[in-house]
Amino acid sequence: MATRLQFENNCEIGVFSKLTNAYCLVAIGGSENFYSTFESELADYVPVVKTSIAGSRIVGRLCSGNKKGLLLPHTTTDQELQHLRNSLPDEIVVQRNEERLSALGNCIACNDHVALTHTDLDRETEELIGDVLEVFRQTIAGNILVGSYCAFSNRGGLVHPHTSIEDLDELSTLLQVPFVAGTVNRGSEVIAAGMIVNDWTAFCGSDTTATELSVIESVFKLREAQSS
Amino acid sequence: MTRRPTQRLCGPRTRPFPFSSFGRTTALVASTRRQSSSLKRHRNNILESPGKGYTKKALKDKNIQPESSSEEDDEETIQADFAFFDPRPDDFHGVKILLQSFLDNKQWDLSGFVDLILGQTTVGTVIKIEDAEDDTPFSVVTALNLGRYKKHRCITEIKDFLIKVSQKDVSRDLSMLLEDGAHNVGLLVSQRVVNLPPQLLPPLYDALFNEVSWATEDEPTEELRKSFRFKSYLIATKIYKHKNADQHKKTSKGLSEDPIIYIKPEDEIFQKISSWSFTFKLHTEQVAAQELRNYKLTGLVMAVEADKIPIFRRELHSLIDGP
Repeated sequence: MATRLQFENNCEIGVFSKLTNAYCLVAIGGSENFYSTFESELADYVPVVKTSIAGSRIVGRLCSGNKKGLLLPHTTTDQELQHLRNSLPDEIVVQRNEERLSALGNCIACNDHVALTHTDLDRETEELIGDVLEVFRQTIAGNILVGSYCAFSNRGGLVHPHTSIEDLDELSTLLQVPFVAGTVNRGSEVIAAGMIVNDWTAFCGSDTTATELSVIESVFKLREAQSS
Repeated sequence: MTRRPTQRLCGPRTRPFPFSSFGRTTALVASTRRQSSSLKRHRNNILESPGKGYTKKALKDKNIQPESSSEEDDEETIQADFAFFDPRPDDFHGVKILLQSFLDNKQWDLSGFVDLILGQTTVGTVIKIEDAEDDTPFSVVTALNLGRYKKHRCITEIKDFLIKVSQKDVSRDLSMLLEDGAHNVGLLVSQRVVNLPPQLLPPLYDALFNEVSWATEDEPTEELRKSFRFKSYLIATKIYKHKNADQHKKTSKGLSEDPIIYIKPEDEIFQKISSWSFTFKLHTEQVAAQELRNYKLTGLVMAVEADKIPIFRRELHSLIDGP
């Protein structure tokens, strides 16, 4: 089921949080309401970790990860890195890498098997990800920030509303999940900033309309989803 | 809930009310001038507002600042034509960003509030750049009748917030305005980007108060007409208050700094003619510019009688346009 919430009157919750099948990262400094919404949905299943990255609250846009690992930008401090390593289960590989493009959340979109990356991503980073996932350098509706304009899980994906049918088909074939073009937060095209999703639940900004919410629940197959 | 655009009455005030654009530069005056920039000088073009049954009143220009767009200068000159529009549902995201900190950092139904403002097309103005690819609002101004919208959650939350932050001596006046007198009170909402040219302010407020008085005659039902006969306006805004405002200290330079810096120049006039006002502490994080290090951002609430508005309009004109 998809839940609507806000972070300090801001509906761009995908900026302040990161959700995967194995953990959830949340920014420090939001109201208790923000955490408690996550904790009530997720606490029984995955750890919800409060953190900052590079001293900032935009954790969702700076890091990228899935159930196997978490990739952090070079601007992450040692304390933050240690805190994350301590708070997350041992099987999750937490790594900081030297990548010129430090907003990894905007440059990389991934699920547990495949990743879409920014066309200018460093070769080393691509290889690092490529050890674990299948990597595709792509653009979405002409935008190179693939991490911003699409959100996908192992069950489905939502992309920028101006994505053409051909691109949608190509993405669905490459990534082996069904894709749909749509919006969140009442017409916002920056999908990944407005929502976070994993295999059994999703969170969207509170401006998201009922129509958008039903599209999200249907493409990510949340209605019949059972938590693992 | 969008209002049907009202038809203007035919009468002495007649003529359709088109809106006109303001050519304003936000740049420094350069020595050379280009002839092409004089295109926008004469502001009597009458343009129709797209998709609306009626349009804004044409406003005549007086002393236009000499326009210049010399590329040879080191300073960048930007030419900007601002236009006044009725609020539209499409303006949702832009207006929401402008009103982000309206109630400090409290979590409230901001989206509902923005919907309310955009739904009231008869009174309210949004300033945008004319013919820009994205139509981001640069400013929004409106007056909402507290009684008419009292059932809306956002209005209730605003009322509760204001009562909570008010001080004892004005709480009673405030509650009177908010509860019993609500149907005669207009909440004046005015927000804009920091660097909006001040020359836009007199026409902006003229437009607002003119629309209010037209609405008292043009609205389709008597109830609506009555709802715009405001007896007073309630204003919630922000100012910079000197940290040592309560003590009268002189700085080391020997000059005393102003106790209050008004972010919006019209707030100073409003406070002067207000029936009462109070300030309250804000909790939002403030970005401290070097010049403002001795000041802290403070909330200010004031009530202004509607019959003082002509004084306000006169003083605003003389403040901005000069003697």
